[in-house]
Amino acid sequence: MIDLFIGELKRTWLQTLRYPTEVIGGIVILTAVFYGIFFSTQYMAGSANAFGDRLDSLVVGYVTWTLVLYILNDTATSLQLESQTGTLEQVFLSPFGAFKVFLVRAVANLTLRMLLILVVLGLILWITGSQLSFPSLLLLPLLTLILAASGLAFLAGSLALVFKRVQQLLGLFQFVLLFLLATPTEEWTGTARTVAHMLPILPSIGLLRGLMARGETLDWGLWAIALANGLIYFAIGIIVFRWAERKAKRQGTLGGY
Amino acid sequence: MTTDSLPTDSLPTKASAAFALESKDLRKFYGRGKRQFEAVRGVSLSLYPGEVLAFLGPNGAGKTTTIKMIAGLIYPDAGWVRIAGKDPHRQPDALRGVGAVLEGNRNLYWRLTPLENLEYFGVLRKLPRRMARQRGLELLERFELVDKQKEPVRKLSRGMQQKIAIAVALIHEPKLLLLDEPTLGLDVEAGETVKTLIRQVADSGCAILLTTHQLNVAEELSDRVAVIRRGEIVAEKPTQELIQQFSDRSAYRIEVAGTLDVSRKLALEKLGARVNNQVIHYAPPAAKHQKGSAQLTSRHSANIYQIFSILDPLPLVDVRQDKADLTDAFLRLVQSDSPVDPKGDRTTTPLPTAPLPTAPSPTASETQQ
Repeated sequence: MIDLFIGELKRTWLQTLRYPTEVIGGIVILTAVFYGIFFSTQYMAGSANAFGDRLDSLVVGYVTWTLVLYILNDTATSLQLESQTGTLEQVFLSPFGAFKVFLVRAVANLTLRMLLILVVLGLILWITGSQLSFPSLLLLPLLTLILAASGLAFLAGSLALVFKRVQQLLGLFQFVLLFLLATPTEEWTGTARTVAHMLPILPSIGLLRGLMARGETLDWGLWAIALANGLIYFAIGIIVFRWAERKAKRQGTLGGY
Repeated sequence: MTTDSLPTDSLPTKASAAFALESKDLRKFYGRGKRQFEAVRGVSLSLYPGEVLAFLGPNGAGKTTTIKMIAGLIYPDAGWVRIAGKDPHRQPDALRGVGAVLEGNRNLYWRLTPLENLEYFGVLRKLPRRMARQRGLELLERFELVDKQKEPVRKLSRGMQQKIAIAVALIHEPKLLLLDEPTLGLDVEAGETVKTLIRQVADSGCAILLTTHQLNVAEELSDRVAVIRRGEIVAEKPTQELIQQFSDRSAYRIEVAGTLDVSRKLALEKLGARVNNQVIHYAPPAAKHQKGSAQLTSRHSANIYQIFSILDPLPLVDVRQDKADLTDAFLRLVQSDSPVDPKGDRTTTPLPTAPLPTAPSPTASETQQ
């Protein structure tokens, strides 16, 4: 498995590096968008000083948004692209089994993406001249967030396996994600709160907001809910992906596009 | 249907180990309701190590579906597959014994170099990374691609890409190699190189299941031929035996210079020969059904001598026995509506008494794909 992980990391890295303009373009766009957000928020809220420590949460919110968006699209896009270019069936010929390969692939891609985001973050801090301080406990809700997002990514990947063309659907996912990230569901009460706990990603997002924007300490009870939420959506992703693999093999449409 | 509900009828046990590939009664339906059709109907194929089986059939006959069922990429609705005794649909580890180059697919990452592709696919086939790299370098040397190892695959010629795809399929030293149209779209030189490689791979003990529309390639490379028509195997025999079956060695084609006069034509036709300008075809009508009959052979030889004496003194341009090739055998098998008797000594396809029609060139039929 370690060899497969390094192999995937190397493959993704080499494929990306072969067109360096793509990497540079990605970094420039991510940074420019953030810069735009930063200045428009500053314009609305007043001077940079008044902006204060909300900048930290803005940075974290934006980075989280790009990361989750990337995770969500990654598996489906990769499946769609490989089906188009004709390497998908070779991947399915692996004795590791398709699920393990795509899981390792997702982890490898995420690792590279994190590196890219760190570069962007560095640029942002340099441009804004601000300093960020993150509590290390932030990593815990980030982990549950990645788990839930990966589960959703496998769901989207399952759709790509069975239905092939899912670009429109992936676009729709972004709006749903925007709603999930922007709605302060942690302030909801009663049944609405319970529903929010059951929706994907939401408990992790609520915790992240609490830690960053409101300076709260980590509520372990809520983190347990976020962990359960992440694990459940990840498990659903695995189950549905395996179902989609069988379905595509039954239909004989694995390599078709 | 889940993998648990995959067909398990009559599972083989120890006997399978001798085969590189064993598949029995594979069936596949596509579509639903009234539109449902059976793409593969009870196909059974077996291969011993080092054997090359040419799996031939017209477009839509079920070749690719069968190959993908063998590779574990399509679930069969009935029947089973064993690769070196393991089921690729239930035991993913069985895929360690399979390499495949699939038609219509790139099979490679075009942004990566040949060596990077070999290393990646080696790891994907469960080789340790160092071994994958080492094997990759060996294969590049064997396939004479060392000087191209650092070029991205997309910059290489189609022939080289195909050689790399075959090398990638061999990186984990599989026991079974599935080649779907390996020479499709290659120029003559690249086609010859790929053919040589395939022969070498088979000589090293790897069983090869090969589909191609280039029947000369199949004839040159294969030890055995299986012909599929409308999802059913209509013939399966050693290649030369199948060709022999469709050859009528007692028939002759004689070409003369000059014009045959009417009296000569009449005399020749009286002996049972057909005259077409300067070409005379002679096929004794009953010979093929009674081979070995010394009396008949002697009478036919007498007829041939008589034909020569009628033609005398016209100059002879060409005299030869009519001999079929795989194209002739294939065309007659797939064009016949006769019932199927795949392993019988004689197929139920009626043998012709007249000379064969000119078969389309394999290259022409290939370009139709």
